[in-house]
Amino acid sequence: MEQHKSWLVYTIGMLTAFLCGAVLFLIGFFPASYSVAEKESTVPEGRPTALLGMELTPPPPAYDSFVLLLVDALRDDFPDATSMPVAYSRACEKLKLHVDIPTVTMPRLKSITTGTLSNFIDIALNVGHTEQMQDSFLHRLKQQNRVVSFAGDHTWVKLFPSEFTRQVENHDSFYVNDFYEGDRNVTKTLETELERSDWSLLILHYLGLDHIGHVEGNASPRVPLKLKEMDEVVKKILDHKSFPNVLLMLTGDHGMADGGGHGGNTPAETLVPLYLYYNNCSKTPSASKRYNQIDLAPTLSVLLSVEIPTLSIGCLIPEMLQSLSLEHQLYAYFYNAHHLLNKARVKFGHEIVHRSDYYTWYQNATLLHKKLLRPLREGDGGGASQVYYQNAKLNYMRVAREISDLLSESLVKFDYGFIAVGLALTTSTSLHIVISVLYLDLTEQLQLDGLKVGQLWLSVIAAVVLNYTSHALDIIMTSSTLYSILLLVPISIAVYLTIDVAQALLKIALPPLYTRRLKISIPLPLPLLACYAIRTLTLGSSSFIEFEYNTWYYLGNTLILLTAFRTLRWRITKTNVELNGRHLYTIASTCLWQMRKVLVVLMLLTLMRYIHRLQAIRSTVVIFSMLLLWARLHRHSQLPQSLASGAALFMVYCFRGLNGQVLFFDVPSHMAAKLMVPTLVIFWCCLALVLMLGYRAALPQAHSFGKVPPTGALLQLLQTNLTSSLLLAALLQRVHNILLLPVLLVALQQTYKLCDVYGTSARKFSVRLVHVYKIIMTIFLARMFFFYQGNSNSLSTIDLTPGYIGQTNYNPSIVAIFVTLNTYSADIHAFLYLVVHTLRSDLRSVGIMQLHPPYSIAADSLIAPLYAALIMLPAAFYLCLLVGFRYHLFIYSVFSPKVLYDCYTVLVFYLVFLVTSLYFKLFKHDA
Amino acid sequence: MVSRFDQQKTKHQLFHVSLSLATILICMAYMQYRRNWAHLGSFWDSLVVPIVFLGELLKVVLARFYGKVEDGVLTAKQRQKKNSYFTPRELLGGFTLQFLCTLLYAFICIILGAPVLGNYEQTFVLALLMTLLTVSPTVFLLGGGGALQVCFCEKPDFVTKCEDTALNLFKYNALGGILGAWAGSVVAPLDWGRDWQAYPIPNVIGALLGSALGNIYACTHVLYATARVYMTKKRT
Repeated sequence: MEQHKSWLVYTIGMLTAFLCGAVLFLIGFFPASYSVAEKESTVPEGRPTALLGMELTPPPPAYDSFVLLLVDALRDDFPDATSMPVAYSRACEKLKLHVDIPTVTMPRLKSITTGTLSNFIDIALNVGHTEQMQDSFLHRLKQQNRVVSFAGDHTWVKLFPSEFTRQVENHDSFYVNDFYEGDRNVTKTLETELERSDWSLLILHYLGLDHIGHVEGNASPRVPLKLKEMDEVVKKILDHKSFPNVLLMLTGDHGMADGGGHGGNTPAETLVPLYLYYNNCSKTPSASKRYNQIDLAPTLSVLLSVEIPTLSIGCLIPEMLQSLSLEHQLYAYFYNAHHLLNKARVKFGHEIVHRSDYYTWYQNATLLHKKLLRPLREGDGGGASQVYYQNAKLNYMRVAREISDLLSESLVKFDYGFIAVGLALTTSTSLHIVISVLYLDLTEQLQLDGLKVGQLWLSVIAAVVLNYTSHALDIIMTSSTLYSILLLVPISIAVYLTIDVAQALLKIALPPLYTRRLKISIPLPLPLLACYAIRTLTLGSSSFIEFEYNTWYYLGNTLILLTAFRTLRWRITKTNVELNGRHLYTIASTCLWQMRKVLVVLMLLTLMRYIHRLQAIRSTVVIFSMLLLWARLHRHSQLPQSLASGAALFMVYCFRGLNGQVLFFDVPSHMAAKLMVPTLVIFWCCLALVLMLGYRAALPQAHSFGKVPPTGALLQLLQTNLTSSLLLAALLQRVHNILLLPVLLVALQQTYKLCDVYGTSARKFSVRLVHVYKIIMTIFLARMFFFYQGNSNSLSTIDLTPGYIGQTNYNPSIVAIFVTLNTYSADIHAFLYLVVHTLRSDLRSVGIMQLHPPYSIAADSLIAPLYAALIMLPAAFYLCLLVGFRYHLFIYSVFSPKVLYDCYTVLVFYLVFLVTSLYFKLFKHDA
Repeated sequence: MVSRFDQQKTKHQLFHVSLSLATILICMAYMQYRRNWAHLGSFWDSLVVPIVFLGELLKVVLARFYGKVEDGVLTAKQRQKKNSYFTPRELLGGFTLQFLCTLLYAFICIILGAPVLGNYEQTFVLALLMTLLTVSPTVFLLGGGGALQVCFCEKPDFVTKCEDTALNLFKYNALGGILGAWAGSVVAPLDWGRDWQAYPIPNVIGALLGSALGNIYACTHVLYATARVYMTKKRT
């Protein structure tokens, strides 16, 4: 007889620690999620016109015309004296630009035109659709009614739909087999524009090189041909008669990896050339300087004589300012430093900025600048002025570079300290709970489920040392001392659990002499483990994450089919032996008929995949769903509770009818609006009545103390919870999704019966085997129904409508609760049903009597910890994967929303588990 | 005296495995000859199903050929079973069993994700191929009733030694085919954009490759047993 021990407190502790680690990980992985959103009003507009009391005048445009020649996927080593001889030999400056991740076109165009970097929020919220830009130097040019012409990639027009005076776009920019057609159109437009003289900026975006790389790789023989074609384009611009006062810039939006693609962070992808061509240049063969791509936007803004975009965090490129006079150069440096200093004030606060080194440099630079203004204006080019000029310029550049780096880091950098702590905590908790569940003997020997004071003190001391060392080495940076002290708690927990896990693993790997090897206390069925492992391993592919519902449908149905056929074979074989081999056809037919309910469940699960196609008959479906749901609830309720449930469901139907979603009496619209609120009020009253009746039946009464059986109190409470949750979900779900509620209950019930029969047919019968099967089947069915509702791993499929049902004003808490209940209704109901089923059932229906330990004991000693372990382990594995994939092209569009879903799933399970554990604590003597 | 080396059985096993692998190689060569994959989903346009059918028939003929040697030592039940092989009742039972298995496989394909309201021809082709790889060899060898008995009894009395050898090898073929078809779905969600990712092409190819792997495993098993006997004989 196994001694019963409750695992609820231990499981709650593990879940709490896991969620704490997940929060730390998310803080470190998404730094933008806690940065303060900048508002334009906090950064002063316009260009400065005064410097320490002296008046300044913004300079006019440096050139009559500007040409931005953007060759998609132009790698830094592509242009050379052989492949592009004209461009290479006639370039005035040959610079390099560093491109930030992700190296794909749209974020790069944003960086080029605004001088800012893309962060997770910027990219995740634009998943699947291109939002038009709000501010860039193109917007500034339009405000000044300057003429801008564009030809090339369709992405520009989506980003800037109304900023171009004339535009010629390729409508099929993603048709990678087009090597030449789109580029020929761009060149034709170039020839047309060169004959005009009214444009200030001409943007040309050639896509052929990128397409060649995608299809044939970077070593394709077509690449030299394409580069030759681009060289001829440069020659055409330079040889034109209007070249005398034109600035031509040849660059790429991103590089090209070996193999022809892009999107990652290899040097070939993140380094592009920037070649400058203008009149009267010296062509000095200087060393190749390197700048950031975001530096192009403020530099171009200055040269174009427009304001620097508000979002810009770039510096200026000195080589592009050579054509300006010394006074105007100093003005440009001052303007950009001033702009960045204002952004730093908004970001880091006035006090920190004033105490920083770069503020001192800024003050020195402005003082020198002021001294220089009069000599520069009077034409005094003496030696002292040159020294002052160089000093002011260097100080301005240092200020800009320092602030730009700081702002860039706060936008993009992963906080590896928080990631490490979060990862250690989630991994150690997952391994800890898995080892505790699998090796009960080990749990008792090492007291894994208790608290050891000595180890606790050791962990705290180690955490103090680790924390101090991390802060000293700047691995972890917190904004205040209080956060540093608070960080001790998760580090201590992680160290404590890691010591436990290490001890346990040592015990497992090195069994002591003369002692039997530790036995796994829970049977691990191979098909279940295989399906679970397959599902977990598919998290490494972005395609499998995007289509994760297919994985769950496939594996879940496979498990049910496998269990059903093994049970069927066992039944036929057993009956055949009993009947001595006669009447085999009859036996097979009878056994197959007995399995008809499982087949019906499988067909229902297939039908649920197409539940959104039942819109045409949704009224009938809703009525059928509600009747079926009421029948399921009626089976385990008393008469008053059944009446209240039926009334609540009827109110839900009336509410849908008044909304016009199902067939209903023809009510005028103003009358429908009036009746909406009373309908909902009656629904809530019925729900409250269901809860009250259920709780009253469960609570002991003074006058009927001897009559109410105390063993059913806990079961009654949990059943009431399940009923109320289902009724509320019926109100929140979409019309065609209401059918999912009764189908989930039917599927769970038939699957549990199948597991019971299968468990008894195993060679070595074990109650734990039945439990393990039921737990994993429940998880699979819950995830299948989660995706049947229309959810996915994209943030755009979250259904926000339930949050506003019956609300007259916006309340974030209620919206969050309702949306969570609706989104995770399958997970919540499946877990509650599993616990209720375990408490209610026994295996008497399949011929097993005298169970030891009792069947329902497993509700808190096995189901809770194993369920928690099976939810936490894939999530921890996925966090490790996420760190490995942090530079993946789809890290923000595919992998990151998935991690939010995973952590939120654990949180939802945690809250449901807390409520359930509370009831177990209150009525422990019953269980 | 060491165990007697059963040369006849080993020959039968190796011939059987060779026929299976040859069938699959011919299917692969035929697919290469067609230069596109769309025909795999068509019943009338593809020769994969007839090739597999002929391969299974040849294996049954092989079992019959090796079974002639032991005609003189048959028991009464075995002789009775052999005499009733071509009766109309047995033929009808065998055909019905294969038809029901094809329907069952089609049902399983739809449960696991095949379209419900379309692609009937593709589902039928895949189900038919699965039936040919799993159930048809046993039905061809033992008839409908015999196949049912073999599936749900430990070891029926009427099964001869050669038939037992063939049944063991059929088991590897069936298991490999089922696992291969199931694993073939792994390429469906990937975004590679190849034309062979369309249903049911990965499952058909997966079934063929899976049965090939099953046969290779069986062949390894046979060769290992042979080598062990040879080494034992050499040591003595």
